[in-house]
Amino acid sequence: MSKLETMDEAAGRVVDGSTVAIGGLLMNGAPMEFCRALARRGAKDLTVVAIVAGPSVDWLVAGGCVRRAIIGLVSMEGFGLAPHFRRAAERGEIDVEEWSEHTIICGLQAAAARLPFMPTKAGLGTDMPGLHPERTEVVEHPRGTYLACGPIRPDVAVVHVHEADVNGNCRVLPKLVWMDSELVKAADTVVATTERVVPERTFRAAPERTTYPGFTVDAVVEAPLGAYPTSLFPWHGYDGAFVTEYLAACRDPETFAPFWRDRVMDPEDGPALVDANGGAATLLRIRSAGGTA
Amino acid sequence: MSGDYGIDELMVAALAREMPNDTRAFNGAASFMPVCAFMLARETHAPDLVWVASSIAVDPSPPRIPESTLSDALWDGASMLHSSAFDFWWYAQNGRLNSFCFRGAQIDAHGNVNNTVIGPYATPKVRLPGGGGMADLSCQVPRVYLWSTTHTPRVFVETLDFRSGMGWGDGPGHRERLGLEGGPRLVVTNLCVMDFPPETRRMRLRSVHPGVTVDDVRAATGFEVQVDGDVPTTPEPTREEVEIIRRIDPTDMRKRELAGG
Repeated sequence: MSKLETMDEAAGRVVDGSTVAIGGLLMNGAPMEFCRALARRGAKDLTVVAIVAGPSVDWLVAGGCVRRAIIGLVSMEGFGLAPHFRRAAERGEIDVEEWSEHTIICGLQAAAARLPFMPTKAGLGTDMPGLHPERTEVVEHPRGTYLACGPIRPDVAVVHVHEADVNGNCRVLPKLVWMDSELVKAADTVVATTERVVPERTFRAAPERTTYPGFTVDAVVEAPLGAYPTSLFPWHGYDGAFVTEYLAACRDPETFAPFWRDRVMDPEDGPALVDANGGAATLLRIRSAGGTA
Repeated sequence: MSGDYGIDELMVAALAREMPNDTRAFNGAASFMPVCAFMLARETHAPDLVWVASSIAVDPSPPRIPESTLSDALWDGASMLHSSAFDFWWYAQNGRLNSFCFRGAQIDAHGNVNNTVIGPYATPKVRLPGGGGMADLSCQVPRVYLWSTTHTPRVFVETLDFRSGMGWGDGPGHRERLGLEGGPRLVVTNLCVMDFPPETRRMRLRSVHPGVTVDDVRAATGFEVQVDGDVPTTPEPTREEVEIIRRIDPTDMRKRELAGG
């Protein structure tokens, strides 16, 4: 049975109040089309799990989708702080459950392994474990002190890949998954958005290049340019010019509203989004940025 | 050389000189100065230095430093690309990778770092990015180097609003009690170089940059800096070092940190 779904169908798998994990890392490889679809559907009260995030979490917060964020870090990297995430946290509009990069991975691994916790030395001595003692506990064991990271089990994880087939097989090129593989292992339901759907024989012809096996992926959505404005190495870099304009627009609600409508939310898919943000010239620019891998 | 260099080049050179030949380092986001320092050290006194760019690409030699230190443009000429940034956590935990550099919005006398919030956690005045990998690597990696381009009392504070990254903790013995190896070795700022003597594990002034006085550093620091005797001047970068830095970073990405902090 084909696992192909429309973006809206797949986004509908994320029910209000549930926990959704978003792939990518900072300005790279995030399933941005899926984030837009969630915002467009008016998804609410979500707990978002994002290891090291940027525009993805900022858009979900801007879209009013987020109640709680389980994060290691959220920023626009060299461009500045993530404005909506920042403002919502400062105003108490979202709860930020502060973890860190490796401790979130440990929590995801605990969930994937169905273990009560995963031990690590990461985070020891910092103020982080004390923020959520019910989830992370410093344990003095006879063989040493460790931080026990309780399970983080997303209802749905969403990752963006280069190629997938109707069976859910996924290929990430050249092989860089950032930390998405940990989300795929931990979540109950996995959605892969993909630049293109390819025939099953493409995978059988080069099975060593399959990144996620079909049986771990529940839904596949064709979403060309689905990571824009984040990067999808080696096919394109992130759109720094867009991020700069986005941050400028975010300074004032009056400039943000039309920007959010015309330059983020209204375009119906990835190519339309790029068209709304410079079209062919933008494509040329982001395709020549990076691309060495 | 005299005068023909910038503070950025002096900082990169000061950082690079501290990296021994057995350095096996990786870099995170927005880390232009460390990336310059790794490449400089590799071209001068530390030919065997290992640098894993963006924690992904092993030993690359990019023609320039791109605007993101996580970008694939930094990976040119690498001998290997990791499939996942996740892989490198194992190497960080077992010491195969042994060096990391970070900075933060606040740094205290023991080299603990805050990059999470200014103000109370629940009702922050400023919500910062979060500890990210710093919270982990500060515990896992034995050689930590701190850098800051904004040496002011707002950054170098007596008490952090939040401890996102573990330095020497509460002082001597704290890391040992938790079973954490090593700790911060050095702090390179736009004013001086500081280290952490074992007796106190508090910042001690090791050298002041040309034109900077000990009193300047005291006035710019929100805690009492330890000063032992006469403080030497930080050596200027050599002409060769400056040429190499300008070659590896021809578009001056390292200078961005001076503007933004």
